[in-house]
Amino acid sequence: MSEPIVSLDRVWRVYDMGRLQVVALRDIDLRVAPGEFVAVVGPSGSGKSTLMHIVGCLDRPTSGEYRLAGTPVGTLDDDGLARFRSRTIGFVFQSYNLLARTTALDNVAAPLLYQGVSRRERLARARASLERLGLGDRLDHTPAELSGGQQQRVAIARALVTDPALILADEPTGNLASDQGAEVLALFKELHRAGRTIVLITHDHDVAAAADRQVHLRDGGIVERPLAA
Amino acid sequence: MSVLELVRLALSRIGSSRLRAALTMLGVIIGVASVVALVAVGQGATSGITARLEGLGTNLLTVTPGSSTEGFTRRAAGSATTLTVDDAKAISALDGIAAVEPEISTQQLVQAGTLNTTTNIVGTTADFMPVRAYTIWQGSFLTDASVNAGLRVAVLGSTTADDLGLDASSIGSQISIGGLPFQVVGILQAKGSAGPFSQDDQVLIPLATVQHYFVQGESVRSIGVSVADADQMDLAKAEIQSALEQRHGIAADGTDDFTIQDQAQLLSTVSAVTTTLTILLAGIASISLIVGGIGIMNIMLVSVRERTREIGIRKAIGARGRDVMAQFLIEALTLSLLGGLVGIVVGVAVSALIGALAGWGFVFNPITPFVAIVFSLAVGVIFGVWPARQAARLDPIVALRYE
Repeated sequence: MSEPIVSLDRVWRVYDMGRLQVVALRDIDLRVAPGEFVAVVGPSGSGKSTLMHIVGCLDRPTSGEYRLAGTPVGTLDDDGLARFRSRTIGFVFQSYNLLARTTALDNVAAPLLYQGVSRRERLARARASLERLGLGDRLDHTPAELSGGQQQRVAIARALVTDPALILADEPTGNLASDQGAEVLALFKELHRAGRTIVLITHDHDVAAAADRQVHLRDGGIVERPLAA
Repeated sequence: MSVLELVRLALSRIGSSRLRAALTMLGVIIGVASVVALVAVGQGATSGITARLEGLGTNLLTVTPGSSTEGFTRRAAGSATTLTVDDAKAISALDGIAAVEPEISTQQLVQAGTLNTTTNIVGTTADFMPVRAYTIWQGSFLTDASVNAGLRVAVLGSTTADDLGLDASSIGSQISIGGLPFQVVGILQAKGSAGPFSQDDQVLIPLATVQHYFVQGESVRSIGVSVADADQMDLAKAEIQSALEQRHGIAADGTDDFTIQDQAQLLSTVSAVTTTLTILLAGIASISLIVGGIGIMNIMLVSVRERTREIGIRKAIGARGRDVMAQFLIEALTLSLLGGLVGIVVGVAVSALIGALAGWGFVFNPITPFVAIVFSLAVGVIFGVWPARQAARLDPIVALRYE
């Protein structure tokens, strides 16, 4: 078996609030193999967001080791982390997080800007990525001119444009009407079939059901079986 | 990430909020425009005055009577009547002197046909032309013969000729000065000066004629001396001083009753004064440049706060702290540079207008816009760094949560 994309070893994340120490993650062991589609499920306050920040290299563990695509993330400084993040992870957020007043094309091209890709190539790749997601006729639309489902598809196009090793999605259907949510979920399944590695974080068991494997989080730790819903 | 990309990003950002960008730049525009305009006006005034002074004649020394003392009251310089025609003759006998012209002046009514004007009547010699650097436009100047004979002949300054309606065809015609008939023998080429020092509004007649008809006595208003060699000005000055002291019976360490001025001295005094004024005005104007810079900083700080989410997104998709810093810094620089460029255009236009109205023309000094650009860039850097650092330091997790 090849090396896992995500590998967390005894990872703790403790927030130091002066006298009070808040444990957000306790002793997390998690492996995600290439091509896997894993859902991290848990109620609010279970540490999902903290886990997503650590997996997404937006935060560092207090202790334990995190290796992403074979690289020990703990050894990187802030700039190194940013650079590594842009090459390795494609984010999909609940609230889309597109740049306002910026066209879909420029939004999708933005990550390539920070990889030093030439403008011509950026635009060509962004266009191709949007066309794959059926947004070829929406290139010049700003987020305000798109529906929620379309905005989320632009965000997915942006996540894919760098051809990342891992797609990290945080409640990607949380802000969408159920039909549009189902469409986006179908898109994730399709990406999975095409060989993408996906980690999807959600509190919704129906959404989690779309994944190959579910990891349940409760009070900052991984639990074997969810409590009865 | 290249600077070009950042400038493109900054321009599209500025383009999407034009009114705000214009108002932000206004402070820098006003600051740069006033610095450019005031420096240009100062330089225009300096060069105008300098040209006028140089037009008075080269290698020129002017001897004027010193102040007279009556009882214990010292009167104004020039009020004494201590210089005479004989002093002028003595000076012309010295070595290294090219020409000497004593002057006596009086105000008289001048009439030609139905037109009249009251102007300066200057009694002088044929050396007036070389010493004071005039050229003749029509006819001829006073000759030694007409000066020695004390003829009633007159050479008119160009402005005076215009005032009296006289032109090239008027050479040889009769005019009246102080009620006496004079023959016009020449008209001078205009020197192109304006204002209170007009050198073109005067009538030149032989010295002896003034003494005979208008001003009695031997004393003269001033003696113009043209030195043969410009390098010998100081030497000539010393010679004239000792010769006059001897003639006037003044000890070498006594108080002279005359003053010798040279053009270089006058020029350096005038340019020192105008330079000081220019620096003062530019200093005042640069305060508005600083205020403009604070305006940019203010807007950039507001902008960083407003765009917290954008910064979070950019960091999440791979921007490093320095990428965000560069983006905001280039935006501030673009604003200040655009403001600076507009300010230069406005400043040049204003100074050209002032130069045209004041009559000294427009002096374009390429250094000024260059300095203005450097200054506005400096304003952009100084007042842009802090907001840019604020942006670069934002934690992406916090920034993404920011609503």
